[in-house]
Parts: sequence; structure tokens; C-alpha cells
Amino acid sequence: MQEKDKTRRKVLIGLTSAIGISGVPFAAIPFIAAWNPSAKAKAAGAPVKLDVSKMQFGQQIQVSWRKQPVFIVRHTQESIASLDLALPKLADPNSDDIVEPYKGLNPSRSKSPEYSVFSGVCTHLGCAPKYFPEVEPKPWDASWSGGFFCPCHGSMFDIVGRVFKGVPAPTNLVVPPHMFEGSILTIGEDKEL
Amino acid sequence: MILYRNILKNIPKISLLLLFIFTSHEIVSAEGGPCKDYGDCDEFKYSLNDIDSLQRGASTYINYCYGCHSLQYSRWGRVAQDLEIPEDIFFENLVFDKSIKSGDLMMGAMPEESGTWFGVEPPDLTLVARYKGDDWIYSYLRAYYEDSSKQYGVNNLVYPGTAMPNVLLSLQGNQRLVCKDIPLIAKNGGEKRDNDGNTIMIEKCGFLQVQDGTGSLSKEEFDELIYDLTNFLVYVGEPIKATRERIGWYVVFYFLIFTALSSLLYREFKKDYKK
Amino acid sequence: MSEMAGKLFSWLNNRLPIVNTFERHLSKHPVPSKVNFWYLFGALAAVTLIIQIVTGIWLIMPYSNTEEQAFSSIEYIMRDVDYGWVIRYMHTTGASLFFAVVYLHMFRGLLYGSYQKPKELVWIFGCTIYLAMMAEGFLGYVLPYGQMSYWGAQVIISLFGAIPYVGESLELWVRGDYYISGITVSRFFALHVVALPLILIALVFLHLVALHEVGAGNPEGVDIEAHLDEDGVPLDSVPFFPYKVLNGLVAIGVFMTVFAIIMFFFPEGGGYFIEMANFQEANPLVTPDHIAPVWYYAPFYTMLRAIPDPLGGLIVMAAAVAIFFIVPWLDRSKVASIRYKGIYSKIAITLFGVSFLTLGYLGTVGVTEIRKIMSIICTIIYFAYFLLMPIYTKYEKTKEVPTRL
Repeated sequence: MQEKDKTRRKVLIGLTSAIGISGVPFAAIPFIAAWNPSAKAKAAGAPVKLDVSKMQFGQQIQVSWRKQPVFIVRHTQESIASLDLALPKLADPNSDDIVEPYKGLNPSRSKSPEYSVFSGVCTHLGCAPKYFPEVEPKPWDASWSGGFFCPCHGSMFDIVGRVFKGVPAPTNLVVPPHMFEGSILTIGEDKEL
Repeated sequence: MILYRNILKNIPKISLLLLFIFTSHEIVSAEGGPCKDYGDCDEFKYSLNDIDSLQRGASTYINYCYGCHSLQYSRWGRVAQDLEIPEDIFFENLVFDKSIKSGDLMMGAMPEESGTWFGVEPPDLTLVARYKGDDWIYSYLRAYYEDSSKQYGVNNLVYPGTAMPNVLLSLQGNQRLVCKDIPLIAKNGGEKRDNDGNTIMIEKCGFLQVQDGTGSLSKEEFDELIYDLTNFLVYVGEPIKATRERIGWYVVFYFLIFTALSSLLYREFKKDYKK
Repeated sequence: MSEMAGKLFSWLNNRLPIVNTFERHLSKHPVPSKVNFWYLFGALAAVTLIIQIVTGIWLIMPYSNTEEQAFSSIEYIMRDVDYGWVIRYMHTTGASLFFAVVYLHMFRGLLYGSYQKPKELVWIFGCTIYLAMMAEGFLGYVLPYGQMSYWGAQVIISLFGAIPYVGESLELWVRGDYYISGITVSRFFALHVVALPLILIALVFLHLVALHEVGAGNPEGVDIEAHLDEDGVPLDSVPFFPYKVLNGLVAIGVFMTVFAIIMFFFPEGGGYFIEMANFQEANPLVTPDHIAPVWYYAPFYTMLRAIPDPLGGLIVMAAAVAIFFIVPWLDRSKVASIRYKGIYSKIAITLFGVSFLTLGYLGTVGVTEIRKIMSIICTIIYFAYFLLMPIYTKYEKTKEVPTRL
């Protein structure tokens, strides 16, 4: 075979393989994309709106967003003021270890100084922590100053969802994107973000 | 024998020819068309890239049809997005129920118990353009005529005995069946003429004509309105259609290149064993 | 690193016949050096089978096999699932093209005598694949639970009712309900996505093993095994790789171009690939104006319709498919290829092809008097082609087959 033919073959083999292989990722797109949340799943996971003005001070409620519990707590002025009491116990008081959407905005960690909004899923293994607002000795902590206690593995969080030192949970409870329009709280959407 | 080899080579062509002969005329003779008394349906050519038309169609649909006919597989936000209407404007002007969210299905605006107001439940129309065809819709909506024997005073040439009143009556005006003098057509397709060279006219009935001044739109404006509405129904029947055809060009182009290259490569290698 | 890989490979190869199988069945497998385009449809059928399996797996995920949701889950796939429409249209287009290439593949077999000794088993496995495909296609068509799914299934299941004595109870047993309900859909779903694909894959495997045992044919009907070189490789053969592979690549390119044109521009195939009435949800109380089977069953449906008696129709239809199985024993010709057969065979196969296409056309349109006569004539031609084959192939004058390709 002549040298010229050899090069021609090589070029053709190269070109055909290149074209052939370059098609593979495109052919894979539909099959990969089909696993994304569908329009139905997205509609079901749409932002949740609720009026929080009816909440009492110190009250905690739970709403479901994307089928996951989200805790909302309305703080009293005293409880906000006494946040510092638990400070020595906290592992990451300023949320430096996680991506915090409203870092440094309010002591409540939310967009409102009065309300806290955070996920009710323990960062350890996904149980739902329980709310114990009382400042009194508890079986799990003799100097309890109010907060969340997870019955599964004993993780503790303060009333704005920050994790204690020496508990199984590694990080603070996650704050979802949210916004307040007057007293209407929207969870899952923040037009400013 | 060479002849037979040629015949053999051309089997596909010959088969098609014979099939054509067999099937021509009587075998293919039409069984009543889908547009019934209207005759042949008017041809409809969709234009899904004409966003303005789709927007007008959506607006007409929601104002005149959505009260009874849901679009249960379609989502509000998707329509807004595909029709390039900003969501706040869309919700402001076209979504009357304020509790509706962007991702919700267009489940219709009829209260549950009203299902049988018209004797039959108004069908969902998400897929109407796919099971009836756009030609049919375009013809049907323009083929209402006055008929006092019917419950709503109207009948339809495309769908005789239709249960749907003509909700667009005030726009179109009162359409009636009229008789007209038309030229007699000879067998050769030309107009028949009498000895003096004048065209012979005969009276034929069954023509649709709108009474002057009874509708708020002219005939052209009304046809355009129905065009937009049908166009919207074609869109909603398959929202991906325009995208599909656009992607199609790239895919076909890709395979053509692939075919060309691989056939060059094959020819190159064929030299090895072909003397 | 490469030493490690080499070691691992030889470890594997000592326990699994990798190199041997690869060389024997792929890289060095000898194929006739001169074949024509008719010999490419087998490979295309394999490509389509793979497309159907992959898209099928992806369609199972969002599909819902309940009476309430089957139809709407199809629209969910078409609208709400990202690129779901691509996957579904690939599957519907693939179904029609699968039948198209298999019909051409089968016709090739009839043209060039690909069933003759020693290829009887290859042919029989092939016919069984076709039978399994017909079942697979029918079951799949019921799943969207549209009007045509419902009424098509109604007609086909009613065929069981034509069987004497057990017919009616058999019908009821197949449906598992008094109409084609969610119960029927979900059992058809299981058969469509698990049982029949397993059978199909097993049959395709057997079809290929048998083929590789006896070797592929060629349009001349020459036995290439008769002239071997010193290594025992047929002189008129070329290795599968690269020649056959490259040829196949061209065929795949052309095929995929056609596939893409249909899928992206005419996915409904003018109502032949996805029928218009199937965009309406099944309604047991309203029969559509015009029930037509999908095009690939149309020839057999026409035969069914041509016979006034349901049981007779059923028998004729079943016989029309079953008769393919005995073709190896019907053909008494000394030569394999139509090129060397006599004039009667040539006329017979032409008439057969035309009548098959005509039957196909007639199955998709309504019945009139003349069409009914046409269907009967074509059915007779169809069966005459097979039943007279022992006579015309035996007594006609054939041409001398060359010894080399």
C-alpha cells in the first residue's frame, strides 16, 4: 500500500471516530436529563407561603417544603438577648463551616430579627429534632437554656438551630432560602438572592 | 433472462407501481372526510415560531374556551414560558383564580357539578389538535350556522349536531347557509358557456355567509382569530414541537456527516479485496 | 501498570474464552466477500433492538401501569419529564422501524434462499423472533391506554373468543376483567418489559450462534466453504473486522438519518406509527370511527377481515405467520438464490411481494366491496406462493451456479 493511501486511511479513521464519539455525549443527554426532577416534582416542591403574624412569641411551628420539615420559631426579645448564654457550648456559632445564606444579617440567622427559619432535618442522620424552649435542667443538659434536642442520637441545637459541641451532629441546621413580604413568609424562594 | 434480472432488481419499484394501479380510483375512493358536510377541511399550516400568534391564541382560549374546556396536561408556568410572556404579566392578565401557582396544571374553571350542562361533559382539549387534527379545528370553529331547530340555535357543517354553542357568535356574527348562483363547471374543468358565450349559472345551496353587521369582527379578522386559536391548540398539543423540529436539523445533519465519512472509510478499505 | 492489566487479562482469559470468542465471532469471523445491501438489515435490526431496550428501560421509570394514570403518564413523559419526548419518540419510531427492517430482512431470506440447508435453524429462530416481536409490539401498543390501544386490544383479544369451547373463558382470563382494564394493562406491562424482551434476547442469541455455526449466505448462493485457503479460511471471504464493520457503519449512518427524520419531523408517521385516535384516552363506551391496526400488522389483519367467519379468519391469520416456519422444506430448488432460480420463482416472489404490500395497505383503510375482493385475491396469492413452492421450485429450469463468488 502506498504512503499516500496510508495517511488517507489514518485521516479518515480519525475523522470518523471523532465524529462518532462526539455524538455519544449528545445521545446521552436525554437519558441523563430524564432523571432531573420533572415539572411535576418541581411543582410539588414549589415555594411555600404562610402568614407568620399569628404565631405566638416563643412558639415553634413546622411546615413542609419539598416534603421536608422546616421549623419556624418566633423569638421573644429575651430569648434573642439570651442567645449568648449558650455561646461557649456551640461548635460553630457563626456558621463558618456551612454555606449560610443570610450570614451575619440577624442573630436569628434568618432575614427577620424576630423569626428563625431552618430545616428540621438533623445534620447527623436526618431525624427531626424536638423543640424544648424551657430554660431548665434537662436530663441531657443540666444547664439547658432552650433549644432543639434530637431524640435519635442526642444532638443538641440552640433556639436558632446552631449545633452544640460534642454531639453527633456535625453542623448547624440548614437555613433554606426564604423571604418576608410583610408578615407573609415564603420558604424556598428569595427574590433578592 | 437479463430482462428478469432487471425486473428482479426493480421489484420495489414495480411493486409500488402495481400497488398504485391496484389502489388507484375505487380502492382509494374516499370514505366520508373528517369535515363531514363541510367537504374538504380547510388546510391549516401551523407556525409555532410566531409567538405573537400563539399569545393571541392563548388569550382567546382562556377568555372564551377555558371556562368549559380544561387543558389538564399543560402547566400554567410552562405556557407563560414557552409563549415568552413574563410570569407576572401572564398571571395578572390571564389567570383569574389567584390561588393558582405557576407549576399547577390547567385543570379548568368549571365547577364540578356543571359537568353535564351541555348534555355531554365538555372534553379536555390539551390533545385535541393531535386526535382531531389542526385542519379540523380550523374548519370546525368557522363552520357554525344558524339553525333554529337546535338547542342553542346553531349547528355546524363540520360536526353536525354538535353540543357546543357558538361562543364566538358575537365576534363572527350570525352565519347562515345560503344559496348562490355559481358557474356550471364542464367536465374538462372550464366554465360551461351557452351559445352566446355567457357563462351558464346554476343555483347551489349550502354556502356559509355571515349577515352584514352582526359580528364585531370582519371575516378576515375572525379567520385570523381562529388561526391564532388553532395555532395555540397545536402548540398545547405538543409544546415541544417547535424545539423538536429545530433539534431535528442538527441530528439529521450529524448523521449525514457520519454517513459520508464512514462510507469514504469503507470505500478506502474495500480496495483491499476488490481488484 | 500495563503489565498489571496484561496479567489481569490473561487471568481472565484463562477462565473465560475472551480472545477466542472475540476472534471467532467478531474480528476474524469470515463473511462472504460479495454481498449487497439486502444483507445489512440484520445488523440494523440488532441496532434497533438495542435502541428499544435502552429507551424502554427509561420509559418504565416514569410510566404508570394503572387504569387511571396510564394515559396521563404518557403525557407526563411527553411534557413534564426533561427530554421524555425524545425517549418516547425514539421508542415509537424504533418500534415501526424494527418491523420495517425485519420485514426487509425476511424478504432477503426469501429472495436468496437464506433458509436452505444447512440454515434451517437460523431461519426458524428468525421466524420465532418475528413471532415474539408481534406479541411484543401488540402488548406495547396497549400500554398508553389510548382509544386505539383499547379498541385494538379489544379486537385482538376477541380473536381468542373465536376458539371453540374455551374461547370466551380464555378471553376473560387474558383480560382478568370484564373489559380491558388496569388489570389487563399491568399484566401486559409485565410481559412487555420483562418476559418478552428476555425471550427476544435469548432468541437473537440463538439466531446468531446458529448463523455463525453455518456461516452467512450471499446473493449468489455460492457455498464459500467449498474453496478454502491453506489456513482453512474460505477464499471468497473477508474478515468481519474491519470490512463488514465498516459496511455496517455506513448502513447504520443511513438508517439513523432516516430514523432521525421520522423521529424529529414525522413522529406520528402520518398516523401510521402513532395513530391519531391514540391521543384520546381509552373509552370503553365509545368506539372510534375507524379502527385500523398499526401498519406492521395490517397484512394479517386484512386476511382476518377477508374471511367472514371469525374462527376461519383466526386460522388463516395464524397460518399466514406459521407458514414461514416450514419454508425450508417447501423450497425444493437445487439453487438458493433467486438469481439462478427459474422464471416461475421470479414471478411467484414478485406477486407475493405485491400482494403482501397490497394486503398491508388494505388493512389500514376501511372496507368496501372491491377492497374485500382484493383482500381475498391477495390472500390467495400470499398462500399460493408458499403452498405451490414445492411444485414450481422443483420443475422449473434453473441456471448453473458459479463455484466462486
